[in-house]
Amino acid sequence: MRHLFAIAGRELRSLFVSPVAYVVLTLFSVISGFLFFTSVLAFDAQIVEVQQLQMFDYLARINLNDHLLGPFYSVIWVVMLFLIPGVTMGLFANEKAQGTQELLFTSPIGIWELVLGKYLAAAAFVAILIGIVALQTGMLFLYGDPEPWKTLAGLFGLLLVGLAYAAIGAFASSVTRNQLIAFFLALVLLFILWLLSIVADLGAAGGAMGSESGASSLMRWLSSADRFEQLVKGLVDTRDLAYFGFLIATFLALTKTAVESVRWR
Amino acid sequence: MIEARGLSKRYGDLLAVADVSFQVGRGEVVGFLGPNGAGKTTIMRILTGFLPASDGTALIAGHDIFDDGIAARRSVGYLPETPPLYPEMDVASYLRYVARLKDVPRARLRDAVDRAVERCGLRDVHRRVIGTLSKGYRQRVGLAQAIVHDPPVLILDEPTVGLDPIQIREIRGLIAELASGVEEERQTVVLSTHILAEVEAICRRVILIHGGRKVLDASLAELTQGERLEDVFTRVTLGADRAALGGEA
Repeated sequence: MRHLFAIAGRELRSLFVSPVAYVVLTLFSVISGFLFFTSVLAFDAQIVEVQQLQMFDYLARINLNDHLLGPFYSVIWVVMLFLIPGVTMGLFANEKAQGTQELLFTSPIGIWELVLGKYLAAAAFVAILIGIVALQTGMLFLYGDPEPWKTLAGLFGLLLVGLAYAAIGAFASSVTRNQLIAFFLALVLLFILWLLSIVADLGAAGGAMGSESGASSLMRWLSSADRFEQLVKGLVDTRDLAYFGFLIATFLALTKTAVESVRWR
Repeated sequence: MIEARGLSKRYGDLLAVADVSFQVGRGEVVGFLGPNGAGKTTIMRILTGFLPASDGTALIAGHDIFDDGIAARRSVGYLPETPPLYPEMDVASYLRYVARLKDVPRARLRDAVDRAVERCGLRDVHRRVIGTLSKGYRQRVGLAQAIVHDPPVLILDEPTVGLDPIQIREIRGLIAELASGVEEERQTVVLSTHILAEVEAICRRVILIHGGRKVLDASLAELTQGERLEDVFTRVTLGADRAALGGEA
């Protein structure tokens, strides 16, 4: 695994030399900043409204975590769905397009080192994105008092989602030599994963007396929505962690197979 | 240094390389000669571990390319037809990256890069970004990445293609230099080309590949006794074609 950091380091540096990193970081900062701002405004408006309606028991329950950060993190999730494919699209597709995979495959490195090195770079980039969200969240601590552990659990949930998305994006990049195709393939895969929870809900609603059929409970199991919500609520459950671990491991294994398959031809 | 034993490569129904065997000793410079599409690149890709052979195997510096792939790959420097360059990196950090991939110890990284930069005449451009370099310089960077870890075996796929005459002469000079010197430091070089003059200029031995088969393996001296290499090439490749046609008829 000595080459892991060489590969990850090169990948990160080249992300920051190309416009990709800056485009993604700018877009993410602007969009998340705007969303944070509107979340704060909406929270404020909600409090004013509740006070005017004199709903005191609701007012007592309203808090920054559930009524500001929760909805905010949920939209950040959607933003990541669109931006992470942009970060990962070049990981493997670029090596093929540039002809540099001949260097990689004729070097004394293992395929896992290559795949994990690339993934590490993408994961570091995801961590930077979550860092931006953490900064915005941190401002709330200056002016209010959100629950620290609950907030951390929410950020952790975002990080897990981002890491899983990066693994899926890496896979998309490993099956094509065209970055644009890698981007859209990743987007489609992430979108399907995201839709699963909605389909599962519809299935449950259509089922008799709310009992879920096998298919819809499978879809619910595969979907990340419920698990993410649990984390935002501050509930860190090993089953949810295992789910994200499973997702990441599966797609990295698929990536490894796809990268290796060049040698079968 | 290189021992190929019955290498074959199939792409579906197409037999790209058929039962090719040869040996290359230390310090030899061998030219793979043959028309385009003869299978030269495929053989080189097998030797460097980029492609698996369908049949047969090869030893590189004593390491089997399948059973001991990592060690075999460590012993090879490879310049593919298109140099594997990252256009956004500068020359020195690119070479440093390659050296790390090739297991050059950390303490020796700087020396290895400096030496490759020096040998390939890249001193003036070693801080430049690769994407801004001319084709000649890129080819030199390609050669520098192949020799940066000082491998005992060098495999160069058309190292002078697309260069101007002066650059061609420089690259040839460099290759000749690599294979000369003290016994222990001499590198074994296999290069492919379809330029006959190139073989005459730097190689001492020729392996002629045609239709995926080895049709000739001889030293340049015995080959060109009283006959021009061009005539030998034409005679052998056409002869092989006729034999193939005759076999079908």
